[in-house]
Amino acid sequence: MGKPATMKPQVLAGWWGKAGDIQFANTPGEAARIVEGILKMPIDGQTVVEVLVEERPTIQKEIYLAIRVDGAAGGPLVTASLERLGDIEVEAAHPEKVACQHADVFRGLQAYQARKIAKSLGFSGDEAVKLADQIYRIYQVYARWDALVAGFNPLVMTQGGNFLAAGGFLEIDDSALFRFPQFRELSLSRILDPLAREGRTIGVSYVGLDGDIGVICTGAGVGMATVDLISKYGRPANFLETGGGITEKQLADVMRLILKKPGLRAVFLNMYGGINPIHEGAKGIVKVIREDKVTIPIVAKAIGNFQEETWKTLEEGGVTVIKTIPTDGAVEELFKRLKK
Amino acid sequence: MSILVDEKTRVLVQGITGRMGAIQTMHMLKAGTKITAGVTPGRAGSRVEGVPVYDSVEEAVAEQEINTSVLFVPAPVAEASCVEAIDAGLKLIILITEHIPTQDTMRIRAYARSQGAVLIGPTTPGVITPGKCKVGIMPTHLFAPGYVGIISRSGTMSYEVAGMLSTEGIGQSTMVGMGGDPIVGTGLVELLELFQKDPETKAVVIHGEIGGTQEERAAAFIREKMKKPVIAFLTGKVAPEGARMGHAGAVYFGKMGSMENKVKAFREASVPLAESPGEIIGLVRKAL
Repeated sequence: MGKPATMKPQVLAGWWGKAGDIQFANTPGEAARIVEGILKMPIDGQTVVEVLVEERPTIQKEIYLAIRVDGAAGGPLVTASLERLGDIEVEAAHPEKVACQHADVFRGLQAYQARKIAKSLGFSGDEAVKLADQIYRIYQVYARWDALVAGFNPLVMTQGGNFLAAGGFLEIDDSALFRFPQFRELSLSRILDPLAREGRTIGVSYVGLDGDIGVICTGAGVGMATVDLISKYGRPANFLETGGGITEKQLADVMRLILKKPGLRAVFLNMYGGINPIHEGAKGIVKVIREDKVTIPIVAKAIGNFQEETWKTLEEGGVTVIKTIPTDGAVEELFKRLKK
Repeated sequence: MSILVDEKTRVLVQGITGRMGAIQTMHMLKAGTKITAGVTPGRAGSRVEGVPVYDSVEEAVAEQEINTSVLFVPAPVAEASCVEAIDAGLKLIILITEHIPTQDTMRIRAYARSQGAVLIGPTTPGVITPGKCKVGIMPTHLFAPGYVGIISRSGTMSYEVAGMLSTEGIGQSTMVGMGGDPIVGTGLVELLELFQKDPETKAVVIHGEIGGTQEERAAAFIREKMKKPVIAFLTGKVAPEGARMGHAGAVYFGKMGSMENKVKAFREASVPLAESPGEIIGLVRKAL
């Protein structure tokens, strides 16, 4: 571009990234060396595959701005500061440095609210009007694309008094992807763990952990309670939650998915039959045990509608079945079996 | 007594002809729930489990006694369906549907509030007052009538808590599934206020999760205003930062929404914390 440039690695690591990650270059040779270095250096465990290279602006001021969901207020909250605060707790400790406005959920952020943010950050005259316009626009982007968070990281005011978005972030709500089918593939490619990505295609929620006990649960709450309990005695290999509407095929896919993790010592299932036909799911589990000749211990707790049928199917497939409710006892049983 | 639903509840099922709506209508009827009508646009005149189906909520309300709506509609039409129920004058809306866009949920919540309607959910198993009325998807046999209120951010965890209590002979006044999304229609503090006012509730069990600040606000409410014993159980201890643990709302960044903050808040409010599901029983016995 024939001008001094800024190089910024693009990773999915929170909203603000880290100050040290940004580097500057004056010549094309220098830029090439820096980008090469960035691509070799993982950030937060992620390999960098994209680097934003842009003209280095002559920065007069920086504005950090985020729009996020405020659960307590039930609506979007816009916060802005001249400093990279980021952490919400840090912001709470320095209210004098942060300008906040709640947006109305029906009418959105109003232009006067954007002007109020600009003024309380110390801008006046033309500069305040220009900044307010940028704030108003990013709110439009947030609303238009059904975002969970959006922001500038940062917006810079150049020596000439113009505003330029030097960096930004936007997280589109996964639940809104039916409105934006063009992003489905992109959304999938942004899941970095291949097992979690496969989980998404099967329609379940998978989070990789660093242990050796595979976990399958039919609900998020019991799923979290299960991995928490397993970590008392050993280490869970994953968190996996099917959500509602399981089928035989889905549970077979789920079983094959968690068995892909190397070094697994056992599989623990925690299933509730409320909205889920667990007797159908059980058939999928047993099918995989038989077809793939699974030899590691499988322990299952299954409670709810169709529980007797579920127990029968699982026991016939060689699964140790726990028929009492507390997950505590079921997890203890699993570790007793592993000690033998 | 109980909260939200009881023997006077008359239920409309929105999305009654769908796969899930039809099956759950059957389970609710078996549990003794009085379902007076269903709605699916274009399906007026048909029946599901003997329940008459109407094209619109307005038409159902004109012909049947209804004071509560439960929704099994697909996420893309959830907002429009809730607005329809609220515009027809219904004051209790129980939104079972999962994966509703958060910005839609914000509008549903705000509209319900502006019209004086109570919204439970989304992503909720519903509400049950054992022996009287079940408006939701929970396995009925795990619940028993009694004096302990339950509020949970998760369906399956609420089943586990109720099932353990029932096995031990401790019944429940009402169980409310609050929902696992970042935005919920009715929050923990508001539900605690309802249980506070209910003469039949002697103690409340809360199941909280990582993410958001509901537990922290509830802890402050319990410390300052709650006169009944509250027992808490929290899940998500081993969740990595930034990972969504099944629920859209179960995620933390830095200290915000972390287990550490929630444990601290409950300890400061002297709320007994169960370390595992099994420990809840002992703590409830002690409180009663």
